[in-house]
Amino acid sequence: MNEFTNNPIDINQLPKFEEVQLKGLNPKYITVLLFNFSLLLILVIGGFSTLFYFKEEAFSNTIWMAIVVGIVLFLAGLVVFTKFSFQKKGYAFREHDAIYKSGLISETTTIIPFNRVQHVALHQGFISRKLGLASIELFTAGGSSSDLEIPGLLLADAQLIKNLVSQKINPPKQDEPIEIASTETPLTDEHE
Amino acid sequence: MSMNRSVDFSQPQRQSLPGILVMFANSLQKTVRALWPMLLIWLVKFDSLNKLIFFGSIAGVVIIIGVISYLQYLFFTFHIDEENNEFVIQKGVFNKTRITIQLHKIQQVNINQSLIQRLVGVHKLEIDTAGSDKKEASISAISHDLATILKERLINHSQQETIADSEKVAIEESPTSFIKIGLLSLVKIGFTSNYIKSFALIFVFFTTIIENLQQLNTDVINEDEVTNYLDALPNITSFMIVVGIFIVLILIVNLIRTILKYFDFTIQKSKQAIVLSYGLLSTKNTLLNPNKVQKIKITQNYFQKELDVTTIGVHQASSDVEKVKEKDQIEVPGCSANERDIILNLLLNQLPEKGKKYSPNWRKFAVNTFFLLVLPVLISITINFKLHFVTWNEWMIYTSFFVIFAIVLIWFSFKNYKLFVSNDFIIKQNGAWDIDTTIIEPYKIQAIETQQFFWQKTTNIGSVTLSTAGGNISFSTGNYTEIKNLVNYWLYQVETSDKNWM
Repeated sequence: MNEFTNNPIDINQLPKFEEVQLKGLNPKYITVLLFNFSLLLILVIGGFSTLFYFKEEAFSNTIWMAIVVGIVLFLAGLVVFTKFSFQKKGYAFREHDAIYKSGLISETTTIIPFNRVQHVALHQGFISRKLGLASIELFTAGGSSSDLEIPGLLLADAQLIKNLVSQKINPPKQDEPIEIASTETPLTDEHE
Repeated sequence: MSMNRSVDFSQPQRQSLPGILVMFANSLQKTVRALWPMLLIWLVKFDSLNKLIFFGSIAGVVIIIGVISYLQYLFFTFHIDEENNEFVIQKGVFNKTRITIQLHKIQQVNINQSLIQRLVGVHKLEIDTAGSDKKEASISAISHDLATILKERLINHSQQETIADSEKVAIEESPTSFIKIGLLSLVKIGFTSNYIKSFALIFVFFTTIIENLQQLNTDVINEDEVTNYLDALPNITSFMIVVGIFIVLILIVNLIRTILKYFDFTIQKSKQAIVLSYGLLSTKNTLLNPNKVQKIKITQNYFQKELDVTTIGVHQASSDVEKVKEKDQIEVPGCSANERDIILNLLLNQLPEKGKKYSPNWRKFAVNTFFLLVLPVLISITINFKLHFVTWNEWMIYTSFFVIFAIVLIWFSFKNYKLFVSNDFIIKQNGAWDIDTTIIEPYKIQAIETQQFFWQKTTNIGSVTLSTAGGNISFSTGNYTEIKNLVNYWLYQVETSDKNWM
């Protein structure tokens, strides 16, 4: 048994989650984000086009021009917004927890300790599958608001992460401490 | 105990005969509850009704319910299947149901009595099972002697099956009464809480009645008369009358609801679990497991502080992940400061100490003032400017009422908004009138989320939300550096703790 120590904890000496170097998502994920937005945009453009085709006199020419300019500006804004918000997204796995940060207007950081994770899931949407991407979702007992989803990972990475977290939450043979020591080495291996 | 232990539970048994009355009363109650708007209108219109049809249909309904109750009694049997070690209940007149409970899964057997059961002289026996087993087994009419023997059998069986710990059984036999909430405390709580809930109830009540009246095209209440009467009075007076009537109604409804729901509130401690039982017309029984408790919320307003009563809400980890069950959210109404401390001690093993205090930035006050005071006033100016609802003099009077009311509320909600952090507890306090004190233990945190708007970066302000399996706790507009330090500390606590959060 280790020698018992009980030193006071200096809060400033604790590891800081805010200083962890976050890893960005895969750049292909921008396509997924843009695709999601473009569905909405297609609806809007389609609506106005039909109106223009069947009932051109609904608006005066200047207003039609304004609408076109508006849509173009909106599109440009959307692309810029998507780019910047993509850059804001990042994740990190520490020894004991998972961190995910996102948000351009409101910057949110979610942290889940591994010893509170109930299970891990790997999701792949339609577009993601075409691009070879996947997302990882960590579930806790804290309800849906406290689940953590990391999108835009390469499928291979996602699978690695899933295995890593699964091993962390279900350490093989909990009752026998000797067994843990032998299986611990692969757990701490960093994946790339 | 030298009771008759020779009762043979292996043969299917019926409930005790007076149980028919209990079932009859329950069905009748359900029917009346479903049909009350109709009944109320019939009573109001009593003179214009055909008496024969009226009493005839009532008698018909009563007879049908009576027959159904008898059949229910006839087809309800229970027995212990010794071979498979199961407790079996069979019931149903047309739809046969067979409920089997494996004896080793039985956690708790409760015997209690509702008002009707007390009058008839029978008891109800309820079986609590472990796990997410959704089947709830209960026998609604059984004599006390039989219930006691059956309880003993069931529990002995379950103990033998799981643990060979015979000492615990002995303790289980006699639960000790722990805390009893008296009628006076309930009256105090009834008069001082849940105003908004009761308001909503009264509102629904009136709209249901009015809707039903309109459907029947009656003129029991002459709407014009009422409006004319109110119109004849000065605006302020009629306003005050309506408000006054509502306040009195709310108080009465509050009082009745509280007493019906929480009458004879008793907390008993037995084995590992704590059992709460309460209710006037129907006695409710709830299990409270201190290990499952995730969040405790203590609510008290100024009046309640003066009267020394407080309400404690206990949020347990939900056994159902998808939706929070009502069973897991327990309220203890009307405890004194002393009883509150006993309960907290019971649930947390110590009294929560408040620790270091964190206050929100003054900008929280400014933002709230803008959205809850300035913006509504501006909107009302614009609307009144266009539509001229009231004269500008009246607008001034109403607005000044509103401004005083709002400013007081916003100020107190800002002043009371605090976070206290100690080694073992995180305590959040908030509320303008009803002040909530929410207590969680750091090792029960499931996830932490920090949040900051981009314009808050220069002022270094941000928020944090802590999720537990019994609900969230959040603190906003605080010093972001301090918050981040706290988050690191809490993460350290969660990740080094080997205590079971449930």
